Amino acid sequence: MSKPEFIYVTYIETTPEKLWQALTDGDFTERYWFAHRAASDWNVGSNYHFTLDGEKRLEGKVLISDPPRKLAYSWNGCSEEVRRERTSRVTFDLEPRGTVVKLTMTHDDLDEAGVTFRGIAEGWPMVLASLKSFLENGQILDIPRPIAAKEAVSV
Amino acid sequence: MSKPEFIYVTYIETTPEKLWEALTSSEFSRKYWFGTELQSNWKIGSSFALVTNGVTSDVGEVLEFDRPRRLSYTFNHILRDDLRNAEPTKVVFTLEPHGHLVKLTLTHEGFAGADKLRNAISAGWPAILSSLKSLLETGNPLAIPRAALGKEVQSS
Repeated sequence: MSKPEFIYVTYIETTPEKLWQALTDGDFTERYWFAHRAASDWNVGSNYHFTLDGEKRLEGKVLISDPPRKLAYSWNGCSEEVRRERTSRVTFDLEPRGTVVKLTMTHDDLDEAGVTFRGIAEGWPMVLASLKSFLENGQILDIPRPIAAKEAVSV
Repeated sequence: MSKPEFIYVTYIETTPEKLWEALTSSEFSRKYWFGTELQSNWKIGSSFALVTNGVTSDVGEVLEFDRPRRLSYTFNHILRDDLRNAEPTKVVFTLEPHGHLVKLTLTHEGFAGADKLRNAISAGWPAILSSLKSLLETGNPLAIPRAALGKEVQSS
C-alpha cells in the first residue's frame, strides 16, 4: 500500500529568491509561520529546526538545497504526541511562471494512522495561505493562533 | 488507483459576503478565472455555464445556493472529447468565518475513471483560487500565464 502524501500548490506574486528567503530565514518564518522560527545553514546534510517561543517543535536534516528552485528536508515533530512517528519528508518546488512563482509543497513518507498526517493536512493550507499574503501584502494573516499553532507544525 | 476527489483549502482576508460575490459574479470571475465568465441565475436547478471569450467550456446545474455559506453545482466539460466525463462531476464551495478571515474549502468530486479530467482540474483550481485570494486581498488578480498550467487545461 502506498504511503499517504499531501500536496499543496499555490501561486504567489513574488520572485523565487524572495520566496526562498521566506522559506529559510527565521526572521521571515517567524512572521507568517505562526511564530515558528527556522534555523539552519541550509546546506545538504545539515540539521535544521523550528522553534516556537524558544522551544524546539520541529527538526530534521536538509536533504536537497538548490536555491532558489528546490528545498527538501526530513520532518520530525518534537512534541510528545508525535515524536515516535516515522520521519516524513517535505519538498518545496519553486517555478517561475511569468511574474508569478508556482510553489508546490509535497509532504510524503507519512504515517497514515499518525497524528502528523492529520495535523499537516490542516496546517499546510494555513501556513501557505499566510506565506502568500505575507509576500504579496507584507501582511500576515491573522489566523487565530491557538488553532494555528496547534495544527500548523507543532503536531 | 486514482483519488475520487480533489480538495483545496485556503484562507482569505475578506468577508463571506465578498467571497460569495466573487464566486458567483461573472464580473469578478473574469478577473481571477482566466477570463472565464460564470453564467447562471443561481436558482437551484438552474443551468450553469463557464464561458470564455464566447466559448462555453463547461455546463452544469445549480445544486445548492446557501448564501454566504455553501455553493454547489454540477460540472460537465463539453469542449474537449478527451476530457468529457460520462457522469457530471460536482463542485462544492464551503465558506466559514475563521477569525478575521474566511476559510474556503473547495471539493470537486466524481472522477471515477476520469483521470485526465481530474488532472486538468487539479492543475486549474490552485491557480484560480490563488488568483482569487490575491484579488480579494490586494485588489489585483495574479497574472498567471494560462500556458503555465500545462497543456491539460488549455483549450484546444
